[in-house]
Amino acid sequence: MRRSFSTVVSVALNSFSENVRNKFFAVFAVFAFAAVYASVLAGVMAVDQEARVLTDFGLTLIELIALAYALFNASSVLLREAETKTIYLVFSRPVPRWAYLAGKLAGSLLTSAVMLALMGAMHLLLLRLRGFPPPVDYAWALAGSLLKLSVITSLAFFVSLFSTSAVSTLVISGVIWTAGHFAIETRFLAEHSPGVKGGLLKAAIWLIPNFQLFNVRDSGGTLPLAAFATAALWTVGAGLAALALLWRKEF
Amino acid sequence: MRLLAACAALLAWTAGSAVSVSVYRSPFPPPSDIHVSAEGAAGDILALAFGARRLFADVWFIRLMQYYGTPEAGPGGTPGDSFAWLLPKTGGGAAEEAAEAAINNGAGRYPDFFPLAMHILQLDPSFTGAALYGAASLAFNMNRPGEAEALLRYGLRYHPHDWKSLKLLTAIGYSRSRDPSAVAASIAPLLKDPDCPVMLKQLAAFLDKKAGNYAEAAALYADILTTSRDPSYASNARKELALLAARGITPR
Repeated sequence: MRRSFSTVVSVALNSFSENVRNKFFAVFAVFAFAAVYASVLAGVMAVDQEARVLTDFGLTLIELIALAYALFNASSVLLREAETKTIYLVFSRPVPRWAYLAGKLAGSLLTSAVMLALMGAMHLLLLRLRGFPPPVDYAWALAGSLLKLSVITSLAFFVSLFSTSAVSTLVISGVIWTAGHFAIETRFLAEHSPGVKGGLLKAAIWLIPNFQLFNVRDSGGTLPLAAFATAALWTVGAGLAALALLWRKEF
Repeated sequence: MRLLAACAALLAWTAGSAVSVSVYRSPFPPPSDIHVSAEGAAGDILALAFGARRLFADVWFIRLMQYYGTPEAGPGGTPGDSFAWLLPKTGGGAAEEAAEAAINNGAGRYPDFFPLAMHILQLDPSFTGAALYGAASLAFNMNRPGEAEALLRYGLRYHPHDWKSLKLLTAIGYSRSRDPSAVAASIAPLLKDPDCPVMLKQLAAFLDKKAGNYAEAAALYADILTTSRDPSYASNARKELALLAARGITPR
């Protein structure tokens, strides 16, 4: 067990270092440019609500940039390793498939966490330079984004194992991301739709992850313990589904 | 083994959904509450799709300020109409004072102001700054206290203990009965709050000046000058401070 765990750690660290070398810092340049540009605009247009506008814009941008990077990585990593035959090399050694998948997922999540932390630090620095204190519950907002990213990354790994290309994985994951933010609307429609339509919508509530549960960036406040439990269950659930598919693959 | 993993996956996913369904209560208004013109619908869909209601509420707030900051092309309301609540109940020659209150371009009809302000709260009812700004502008600048109260009451449906909205609601009630000193007393606790719109501070300074409390008025103008990032309010505060200083009154 200890040996398998050290395999997971090795794969995760390797995956993380690969991610860092792969246009990782270009992302921060994009974020820094967009954030500074927004701060100039917000200073002119938002007047007395500049702090709020800058905070909201920054947190949304941080999440979307980290999401783009995480999805791009999750949708292409397994396909790329299969195409370059790297995966054959890995499985020719005593590496269990579950440890490989868990390591890849952990590496992706570590990358997301580091990205969120670095962009968050840049954002707070910008706010400070504009003369604003750190927003209340800022860390909770970033934690909520990380929980969302953990669920969607795990789902993207699962989708990438049955979809035909990285693009289709990106599209499917993007649709799930969007649908997951419509949880309030889906529930509202389910309550107001009779018959089969209502039944389908109720099923959708159970099938699609409710990202609003983690959306502290939007609703404010802190994350309940149940949010962490839900994110863990969904991440593990999607990871196990991906593992079931990975076991079917011939390498 | 594969079947076991698939069953475990389904079980974990269902357990996650069960927790989510049982604990999640939306802090936002239902979608049936969101009313927006066709040109704003795409933005609202994006707001919902990316879970960015706050950000899009900010965008709508900027639009509201741009709308309110643009002089009306058609015949607008006169300052005397808009600031009627400042006139004494029994008549009298206070029209000049009321006109003086129409500092910058606060007076007018601005027919879309209320739906725009309401839309911000429909997206994010916790945006207290927008609620206070919208309601204060409607009640004190445009003499539309009914709409101002409706705006505040909408926000209070989702945050019933928001003392700032409650204070402003009381102040609007006093403005209906044309009692400027009671209005000033009601909004006084709001003035130190970071969410307090600068136009309320300016109104309070004006009311203080009108009541002869020149030192308090000077303190408020000094506060506007140091805290507001709106150049028109800052320049007006500078002008008022200079006038008060000429009479030997400095901020307390």
